[in-house]
Amino acid sequence: MSNAARIRIYLTGVGGQGTLTATTLLARTALDQGLEVTSGEIHGMAQRGGVVESTILLGGWMSPKIGHGEADLILGFEPLETLRGMTHLAAGGSVLSNTEPLPPVGVSTGREAYPDMARIRAKVEGCAAHSWFLPCRTLGLQAGSVQAGNSVLLGAACATGLLPFGPDALEAAIRTHLAPKLMDMNLRAVELGVRAVTSAS
Amino acid sequence: MSESTAPSGVTPGARPVNPLLADEPGARRLLLGNEAIVRGALEAGVNLVACYPGTPSSEVPDTFRRIGGGGRYRLEYSVNEKVAMEVGAGSALAGAMTLVTMKHVGVNVAADPLLTMTYTGLPGGLVLLSADDPGCHASQNEQDNRTYARFAGMPCFEPATAQEAKDMTRDALLLARELEQPVLLRTTTRVNHLRGAVEFGPLGQPAPIVPFERNPRRFVPVPAVARVRHAELVRHLGVAREKAEHSPWNTVRGDGRFGVIASGISRAYLSDALHETGWGGRVKVLDLGMTWPLPEELLTDFLSECDAVLVLEELEPLLENDVRALVQRRGLPVAVSGKGGALTIYGEYSTQSVTQALADLLGETARLPMACDPETALPVRPPNLCPGCSHRALYYAVRKVFGDDAVYSSDIGCYTLGLLPPLRMADFLFCMGSSVSAGSGFATASGKPTLAFIGDSTFFHSGITGLVNAVFNKHDLIVVVLDNGTTAMTGHQPNPGVIQDVLGNACVHLDIEAVVRGCGVADVVKVRPFNVKSTMKALAEMKERSGVRVIIAEEPCVLYARRTLKKPRNQVAYVAEQSPSVADCLEHLACPAFFRDDTGIHVDENLCGGCMVCLQVADTIKARKRSDA
Ligand code: SF4
Ligand code: SF4
Repeated sequence: MSNAARIRIYLTGVGGQGTLTATTLLARTALDQGLEVTSGEIHGMAQRGGVVESTILLGGWMSPKIGHGEADLILGFEPLETLRGMTHLAAGGSVLSNTEPLPPVGVSTGREAYPDMARIRAKVEGCAAHSWFLPCRTLGLQAGSVQAGNSVLLGAACATGLLPFGPDALEAAIRTHLAPKLMDMNLRAVELGVRAVTSAS
Repeated sequence: MSESTAPSGVTPGARPVNPLLADEPGARRLLLGNEAIVRGALEAGVNLVACYPGTPSSEVPDTFRRIGGGGRYRLEYSVNEKVAMEVGAGSALAGAMTLVTMKHVGVNVAADPLLTMTYTGLPGGLVLLSADDPGCHASQNEQDNRTYARFAGMPCFEPATAQEAKDMTRDALLLARELEQPVLLRTTTRVNHLRGAVEFGPLGQPAPIVPFERNPRRFVPVPAVARVRHAELVRHLGVAREKAEHSPWNTVRGDGRFGVIASGISRAYLSDALHETGWGGRVKVLDLGMTWPLPEELLTDFLSECDAVLVLEELEPLLENDVRALVQRRGLPVAVSGKGGALTIYGEYSTQSVTQALADLLGETARLPMACDPETALPVRPPNLCPGCSHRALYYAVRKVFGDDAVYSSDIGCYTLGLLPPLRMADFLFCMGSSVSAGSGFATASGKPTLAFIGDSTFFHSGITGLVNAVFNKHDLIVVVLDNGTTAMTGHQPNPGVIQDVLGNACVHLDIEAVVRGCGVADVVKVRPFNVKSTMKALAEMKERSGVRVIIAEEPCVLYARRTLKKPRNQVAYVAEQSPSVADCLEHLACPAFFRDDTGIHVDENLCGGCMVCLQVADTIKARKRSDA
């Protein structure tokens, strides 16, 4: 068992997006790689469209919680939630975020304004050592479904070199843990995520 | 993405046994804390599981249900926690190894039988899982149920990792059987909902049933028996204390004159804080996993070797006060600290709050991480009723008919979310079932028209007693039973009113109307909330009458209809023409499928639940077929 890197990953998104399934997949990938994993989730009444936060801690952490300033990596499955979650980022930490919004009800009804992408980017780039922005919904649809957008983001994260494993480990986990009918689509999604990161750098 | 149930390496399609049921000692799997509890119970040989679902405990019974068990155990969703506790007690009396699960506030409901079954003891062995919720992630309070271990007289285990959740569940059940005494397994949300690697032990066979021997002098606690049994309980706790002294779950590590005594998830924060700060070599740590009865000798030895100790426990300072009492009783020259500063009685602890407390103990300065500034004025994302939820339709009709003249007594379920504007359909709430009885009291004292909203599962849980009381005491109240055919809030567990026979033949459907009439209510009307006009008419007529009146609003939960009953709605709404009525609909119905852009108000087809309520509110909203239907 390797304890080389102690990494804390904070994941945030919106109820119904499937971020918890994505979190579990990434945690299983790490476990399959022989890493020590603790993962957590908080989703009070999230089924009803609230914020869903989850965590993956690699390399021997005992607590599943990530506080302010503690995340080495933030995976934002929704841009507004990426922005809200930025307080969790550690100094020198990195961010990968979806760029396609799911407007909360106050925004759809015109009572509140959704922060524009320029503001979100500026904040993220101001706080993070490295950041990547991807149109996950579009790429997910390209791979086969909106839900596959989550695998796009995971694939991208594995391609950054910030995790102690690469996209091949994620692909292996997809083959092991996902239902056969979902496998190809998610593998395509990972590939799209990987390409988005490698072509950006 | 949905997961296959196939374990690693097994060809899907071969209907493999669920990994939780596999006898593969040494296998390591990533499990949710609640799944680990299931595995631990299976390894101990659990015979019967009784529950009332509630976050964060629900995945325990739901996992037992999902994996089926192949006849290893019986699972029951009881109508409330008291009933679950009593079914469990009867089962353990009859000799079955029994697990009873609920959330923390459920233990209040179950407290009556609980505080006497510790007197009689239960030969088959019973473990009560109390899933507490520091931080109120999904609860109306954050009470500390370690109090019940002391109050009722139960040995208590508090896991902090997935591995411990499995192992302590197993050990708790085995101890309960050995002592013939109920044992408390106390978790907190972080533990129930963490995931970690769990190494499996052998599965073994279900526990043998302990034959029941009639013994009224033990099992019928009339006063003469109860007096004797209380003394027996104290003796049992003495035996349990000895176990705690030598329990592998209570361990000492490290060196130095500074000590830390930690329990529950605080142990995780401590472990990470020591690693981060590098202060691990400067403190001696007593990890308490079996936290009641207190291992007093172990504690005394530990305290005698320290000049100062810090006690880490979330919520009440129970351990701290016990340690202070022990220090005083034994005259130990050690300074004790605990609650205060970053370590609050409310809310959760964290690695940072524990780091701060460690710094205070050691006379160091904590270097807490820098974070970027929080963004202000971001749009919030409150949980909301789903698009197409029948509760929204019903609430809309009630607001139209009663407005602000009436007072709304709410209850626990998805429908509590009706408290948000514009519906504003909750003025007060205490606990499961309180809508009816608190509504009765409020109506009597205020003379105001009062409506009580209660869901079907909550009605069976504890609404019926309040209804009988309202009839008997001639209260003046409208009770609206929101019957959506499932326990939607916690993830669609069955209740006695379920539409679908999820548990197979064992599950019987109870007719709410017959129950209501059986309680003596003559004024009962059934409505379909998706028919706004007729619902409003029924409400308006009821408004004119007095006494106990019941409206049963019947409509399956849309999520449940889609996911479990596989009944998608193929019609969606669209705005045919912008008009004042559309704006009015958005303002007063506020279905989250609506959105506004530069061109006006529209319906997001992907979100629309197809209830067709907006069509009845705005005349320029029309229906069409879903484009992918
Ligand atoms: S889950 Fe069902 S009952 Fe709950 S808000 Fe959604 S539709 Fe309504
Ligand atoms: S848009 Fe209209 S039909 Fe669709 S869910 Fe909302 S209220 Fe019901």
